[in-house]
Amino acid sequence: MNDANRSHDRLARWRASLGGWILSGYGVLAYLFLYLPIVILVVFSFNDSRSTSQWQGFTVDWYYAMFDDRQIILSLWNSFFLAVVSTIIATVLGTLIALGLERYSFRGKTAVDSMLYLPVIIPDIAMAIMLLIFFNLSGIGFQPWKVQFFGVKLAVPYSVIIAHVAFNISFVAIVVRARLAQMDRTLEEAAQDLYANSWRTFRRITLPMLMPGIIGGALLAFTLSLDDFVITFFTSGAGFNTLPVRVFGMIKKGVTPKINAVSTLMLVVSLSLVFLSIIMRRRGGDDEPIQFGF
Amino acid sequence: MANAFAVELRNVVKRFGDVTAVNNVSLQIRQGEFFSLLGPSGCGKTTTLRMIAGFEMPTSGEIYIDGEPLGYMPPNKRPVNTVFQHYALFPHMTVEQNVGFGLEMQGVDKAEIRRRVGEALEMVKLSGMEKRRPKQLSGGQQQRVALARALVNRPKVLLLDEPLGALDLKLRKAMQMELKALQEEVGITFIYVTHDQEEALTMSDRIAVMDEGVVHQVDEPENIYERPADRFVADFIGETNFIPARVVQLGPPVVVEIAGRVRVPAAWAEQGLSEGDQALLSIRPEKINLYEERELGEAGPTTARVEGRIQQMVYVGTDTRHTVRLADGSVLVARLQNIHTEEEPWTVGERTIVEWDAAHARVLRV
Repeated sequence: MNDANRSHDRLARWRASLGGWILSGYGVLAYLFLYLPIVILVVFSFNDSRSTSQWQGFTVDWYYAMFDDRQIILSLWNSFFLAVVSTIIATVLGTLIALGLERYSFRGKTAVDSMLYLPVIIPDIAMAIMLLIFFNLSGIGFQPWKVQFFGVKLAVPYSVIIAHVAFNISFVAIVVRARLAQMDRTLEEAAQDLYANSWRTFRRITLPMLMPGIIGGALLAFTLSLDDFVITFFTSGAGFNTLPVRVFGMIKKGVTPKINAVSTLMLVVSLSLVFLSIIMRRRGGDDEPIQFGF
Repeated sequence: MANAFAVELRNVVKRFGDVTAVNNVSLQIRQGEFFSLLGPSGCGKTTTLRMIAGFEMPTSGEIYIDGEPLGYMPPNKRPVNTVFQHYALFPHMTVEQNVGFGLEMQGVDKAEIRRRVGEALEMVKLSGMEKRRPKQLSGGQQQRVALARALVNRPKVLLLDEPLGALDLKLRKAMQMELKALQEEVGITFIYVTHDQEEALTMSDRIAVMDEGVVHQVDEPENIYERPADRFVADFIGETNFIPARVVQLGPPVVVEIAGRVRVPAAWAEQGLSEGDQALLSIRPEKINLYEERELGEAGPTTARVEGRIQQMVYVGTDTRHTVRLADGSVLVARLQNIHTEEEPWTVGERTIVEWDAAHARVLRV
């Protein structure tokens, strides 16, 4: 190899490595843009000062303060109760809709099918106003459901529960339906061929095969319900707070690290649920349904 | 009803919208028979099987098992079991649970289920695999589980939908023999759907050849091959020559004119032909011999001879395919076995006398 060739070669290699550096740098910047605010939020929830911009030292006092704040704790219970109830109802209804759409043909199926995606695509604010008008016109109003939940007295308006079910149904139905569509129908025929009636075929074959989808859908619904602000805010009437609504109220009086602490808590819970949901659905992907006893 | 057919179909029709999948099929399947439904894809064989299983209901007509009409009886009430094309094993259950599923659904007690599942797995040589999941088994093993899962219920009829289709060639051949032996051992009536003619010919007691929803012929394998009932069967099963012919005499004996003016005898003419009609003379390539003029022996009353020229020769191992062009331009293929190594081979363009026995020649409608 002669000198000219060698230097040409070196130039090419240098160029390639420069390209690599720029690309990596771009990637790092993009991730910083996305995650730096979250990191700052989490870091300042441990700040030993009222300031959310100047670091004074480490403390977990804000977490204590958060748990001492009765309003926050109540709103946390409200959020939790609302998520549990709306998830259960939405999961049952959403699964039934998915089964109906995938397995039967009926008049108006196309309409139901396309309307199913509506709550997913329309803006939250539109859905919130829609529901608000509906509750006013229908006379359902904002009557609270007074209930003891793990020993805590709660008053949750029916309207909020209905609203959460309304937007969660679609998500559950879509996730379950995707699972149903990839399921081999001859499995059900095989069960019938082996003397199982419709109910036992459903219980022993269809339901276990669908379980990853159903659990995935339920976890998604739970997360969405827990995080929702706009729809809850519009449909709860006065005096009812979920955690996001409570945080919004606190922010109006100024941002303190307590809010950072609450936000961090919500972040951790939401992320864990999303991860769980992904794991559930992935386990379903390789045709390994979840066994559960009846 | 000891004398009843195991399965009988009377004028069964199945329409899906505008498409007629099964068109007026009548079949009588005997007790303990290995019966195949053979035909190209879309011929209605699988639909027929699914109607017997109860997954589809006939548009009209009736299906009987042991002389009893099935009507709209759902699949779970029918005394038949199915081996599905892709096995349809339950992925969330072990081999043992899969095989025992049918017995469990019938309410058989646990000890009895264990015993019979053990027997069934032994029968298909899968003992020791009880705790495995279907995913942990090879294709051939999954196939055996599917077989055991169906047979453990001791059905009156076992329905098999191309059960060997997903296996590789060597395994398929081995399983064919095994399946046939198993059928003879258990004595259950098998209805076997396949598009593989060789498979059907090797395994079946009788075959129904289907196309476009219609049964063309129901017969023993030898008759299906040697005595095809019409053009479709002759064409679909094995290889055959169709030589354009004109019916001279419906006989007996049947005589046709081929290659211009050459009159040759034939064994049989299809119904609906009359003298003077254009027809096809069907003769299998391995039934044909080629001679030089000086080699010719005495011609008997059933000897058919026609002159031609060698057009092409292709060596295919056990035999050589000789394509011969006749005087009118029609072409036929003779497969000559490669046994006479010392014999002088034919050369392209050489004149030859094509000879066959009328017993193998059948006159079919165009």
